[in-house]
Amino acid sequence: MNLRLLTALFLAFGLFLDGGYSQTSTDQVVLTRWALQHIMARHWPDSTATGAGKFQAGTTEASLRDMINEVVHNGRARHNTHGRPGTIYEYDFQRQIGTTIDGGPATRLRVVVSNRNEVITAFPF
Amino acid sequence: MHLDYQLREDSETDWSSVTEEDLRYRVALGNLIFHVGDRDFSADWGWIPLVDLAASFAEIVRKLEGGSPSETFEFTESDAWVRFQKKGEKVLVSTSYSEGVAEIALHSASAAVKSLRERLRSDLDRRYPQAAHNEAVRKLLGAA
Repeated sequence: MNLRLLTALFLAFGLFLDGGYSQTSTDQVVLTRWALQHIMARHWPDSTATGAGKFQAGTTEASLRDMINEVVHNGRARHNTHGRPGTIYEYDFQRQIGTTIDGGPATRLRVVVSNRNEVITAFPF
Repeated sequence: MHLDYQLREDSETDWSSVTEEDLRYRVALGNLIFHVGDRDFSADWGWIPLVDLAASFAEIVRKLEGGSPSETFEFTESDAWVRFQKKGEKVLVSTSYSEGVAEIALHSASAAVKSLRERLRSDLDRRYPQAAHNEAVRKLLGAA
């Protein structure tokens, strides 16, 4: 049995165990300028958007990138819902990272990543 | 069941090049108007991607009609949700952001969602003529 066949079998077995879902959580995701603007408009501490979780005051672009990478590496992954493209990652930092839509403390971060491995949105909850 | 929307004015989007990802997260934003019986499940956050909402609700109704016992719509920018639980030929509707549970016949929910998609499609075509020829719009809202 050659190496390529072994690799194919290994991947197929992994997908079978994972219910057909392939997780690429070890990959680095890309936070584009557009995505950063999208997140800042809705979820930055000074954003006036209602009904959306907010990051804690003092959050910076660098700390956001760090948090996103931690979520993608260590968080729980699931398929996006009802035909939406991409993957949802969620992780509980066990410390406050922002506020929920009700204004309470948020410790979790949800990150939506496209099939091109680009961040679509990210928000505390 | 009253299912409607308020679409935010948008003069920046190039509707000829809008992608499905744009429609799911970034364009055609607005408010959800959603009454079931005496319950008001509306969400006036202004950022709700309405094409995504209409397409997702249609998918949810399709799954319920296909036998799924429960389906949940998750908003794109928060952990808020709308849940649809089947109870015989009826559907129980509840949300994370508003109190109460309301009941509606599945066929009525289906008709309301179909109407929402059609009205949104017509509205977008009227406001943004290039949307009528956009493949992603056609995919998510159906052909005119």
